[in-house]
Amino acid sequence: MASCLETINLPHLPSSLPVHVALYRDVQNAASLKGHLLAGQKEFEYAFIDASMVLSRAHVTAAVFRAVNDYMHNRLQSHNVHSEIVFSLNPTNNIAESFRRFGITDSTKDLLVIKVSVSPEITHESVAAHLSSSVQGTPVPFDDQTLSEVSDINKIKKAYKLGALPSPSSPNDEAKQRLEKSLLSAIALRGS
Amino acid sequence: MGEYHPPPLPSPFNNTSPPPTLLTQGAEAHLYKTTSLDPSIPAALKIRPSKPYRHPTLDRRLTRQRIIQEARCLAKLVREGVSVPALLAIDWAGHGGEEGGWGGAWLMMEWIEGSVVRVVLEKWEAWMKDQTLDAASVEKEEKRVRGLLRQMGAAIGVLHKAGVVHGDLTTSNLMLRPFGTEVVEDDGNPSMEGDVVLIDFGLASQSSQDEDRAVDLYVLERAIGSTHPRSEPMFEELILGYRNSYKGAVSALKRLEDVRMRGRKRSMLG
Amino acid sequence: MIAIGMEGSANKLGIGIMLHPKDGSPPQVLANIRHTYVSPPGEGFLPKDTARHHRSWVVKLVKQALKEAKVSVDDVDCICFTKGPGMGAPLQSVVVAARMLSLLWGKELVGVNHCVGHIEMGRLITGATNPVVLYVSGGNTQVIAYSSQRYRIFGETLDMAVGNCLDRFARTLHISNDPAPGYNIEQLAKQGTQLVDLPYVVKGMDCSFSGILAAIDGLAKHWGLGGEEKAREDIMQTADVKAAVDSSDSTPTRADLCFSLQETVFSMLVEITERAMAHVGSKQVLIVGGVGSNERLQEMMGIMARDRGGSVYATDERFCIDNGIMIAQAGMLAYGTGFRTPLSESTCTQRFRTDEVFVKWRD
Repeated sequence: MASCLETINLPHLPSSLPVHVALYRDVQNAASLKGHLLAGQKEFEYAFIDASMVLSRAHVTAAVFRAVNDYMHNRLQSHNVHSEIVFSLNPTNNIAESFRRFGITDSTKDLLVIKVSVSPEITHESVAAHLSSSVQGTPVPFDDQTLSEVSDINKIKKAYKLGALPSPSSPNDEAKQRLEKSLLSAIALRGS
Repeated sequence: MGEYHPPPLPSPFNNTSPPPTLLTQGAEAHLYKTTSLDPSIPAALKIRPSKPYRHPTLDRRLTRQRIIQEARCLAKLVREGVSVPALLAIDWAGHGGEEGGWGGAWLMMEWIEGSVVRVVLEKWEAWMKDQTLDAASVEKEEKRVRGLLRQMGAAIGVLHKAGVVHGDLTTSNLMLRPFGTEVVEDDGNPSMEGDVVLIDFGLASQSSQDEDRAVDLYVLERAIGSTHPRSEPMFEELILGYRNSYKGAVSALKRLEDVRMRGRKRSMLG
Repeated sequence: MIAIGMEGSANKLGIGIMLHPKDGSPPQVLANIRHTYVSPPGEGFLPKDTARHHRSWVVKLVKQALKEAKVSVDDVDCICFTKGPGMGAPLQSVVVAARMLSLLWGKELVGVNHCVGHIEMGRLITGATNPVVLYVSGGNTQVIAYSSQRYRIFGETLDMAVGNCLDRFARTLHISNDPAPGYNIEQLAKQGTQLVDLPYVVKGMDCSFSGILAAIDGLAKHWGLGGEEKAREDIMQTADVKAAVDSSDSTPTRADLCFSLQETVFSMLVEITERAMAHVGSKQVLIVGGVGSNERLQEMMGIMARDRGGSVYATDERFCIDNGIMIAQAGMLAYGTGFRTPLSESTCTQRFRTDEVFVKWRD
């Protein structure tokens, strides 16, 4: 399967900490991936996110930035930076709840996978190789167009208690921007 | 008495390349321009350095409290659809956990294009001074300013309606963001087309009291009076824009009368 | 030119004699003496008693000042007095004395704003040219900057003065009023280590102290730290006992409360001063008024000013605490521009805002 893994150097984060992101549709083995993750297998230490809970790239990068910044300053509240990314998507301080809402489930069909290069042996190549051998799904580009086909707006709004906001009707309309900005501030302010 | 050097940037912005550019340094905070998490989109970075003059415990408490208050106001206003810079990221803890570390705090916000209303009005007043206009042209010019003032009033009304008072309204804290992206060439006479965006919520708080709303308006009225004498007579237009923007405006404006009467003048006892 | 300055707006009676040499060389302080009415611990000074104190000392002090200055009545050009603001009865007893001397000696009167007196004396002594002024005393808390012939008030207290807040807490703790309650709080605060949480009330460039006083009075009561009994322990306590107390940090001590009160209210003062400095673009700050002699306040202000690339100017207790020479100095500046106070207008007033004075002697 062709790799669609994107490696991002997020602005403001040290270049030694690139972030690898891949988006898959029609994933067939979510239950087994979740099993590997729960078993604590080191090579399956990823942020496995149910992509239907993701609105946009900015939504994801905000959570990654928060998690990596907390990681850099020894403030992680969960096991590692990858679980912290899932936790960072959550608007409240409940870690278990964050996994239920945003993490991979047995029935996950669209999956967002994130890996941070927290040690030198984690490279684009190593991540790409491991993912292509372990994820059974169709790699698609990690962009707003694709995400707009995947995201479940009502579920997202519910998770962030933003039911009163208008729902987006096109990938970049005003409602989408307002919703996105509201998500970013909820991520930023968690625990304040 | 050495030259003033801004304190070094806190982590992670010591990694930022190119480094953020310092724009202004107020008493409380330093404002930088940098990029958001998308390198093609700019962002504003507000840093509240720790204040070494005060006790570290008190310093942390105040810095944290204030930056969170500002961020919460922004978050609330964005949700309500008010034109303010969106909150992108924040760190109120200083780094290194509870104690020790740097002690300051930072806040990253959406970058707002355009100029502050102070500059727009100053340009306009300077331009008017140099012109010899007939009555009709003067009227046409003033009509533009009236339109801007009405829009400012409406923007403040929407802010108050959302349950937030600004705490420091001046023409430097209101921006005019041009529609679209094209830069309008002017002959010294500035464009007044655009959205009014409220900025700098460092002294803002959540309140729906007439008194707080009236003080917001009064502070702005005085600021316009002292910095834009030519525009001051048109302040009534701002009031008009405010009055029509939400239901509670009428009682806030009634309170404004009282605040004006009372003024800031307080007789001091020796 | 020689001026006598007479000050008695609160519990200090001050007489000063100032010489402004005709050749334009720097002014000289010829005499600066003061007598303070000290009330018993736990009590403030009442207007009636303070006025009586001023009346019974004013003649003695004027005579002594003239003797110290080695000048005769003929050398004196004008008599400057505090017109206000201040407490009515003490102000009045001094203005009556000033009027009497004016009639007796045939000298002209110059009524002076007390706050402007502090500012002008501070400028003279420190050499600060155009500073932001923090004026802090038992009756006033203002942040002032000069602009077009006025000392404009940028920020001020919304309720009580900071010095009043400190003095009243001294009463709660039954701390001695000799030489001044604020001074004794400052000494006790030096032994404090633990910061207790107090309200912190700054609104723009204004601040408020009444909530803080209520909170710390409440804490003193809660921990049983107020009153005469406990005050005696301050004196009894030896150094090693204090060290033992300091090491536990659950229960605050009297010293901790003084420390916390100072840290909190001084932080507020430094903050509003910094805001005013940023606003007017000034790098100098001058502290005047009785509370300005507090070394911790000076230290904090110094750190703030240094971080802004500026500096702090402060005077010692001779000029910081209410005195007669500052009235002579400000009066002489006005006198030099032709200002006089006719006998018929030589009244005093409890309320007299700093920004009401037309400052003709500055550009």
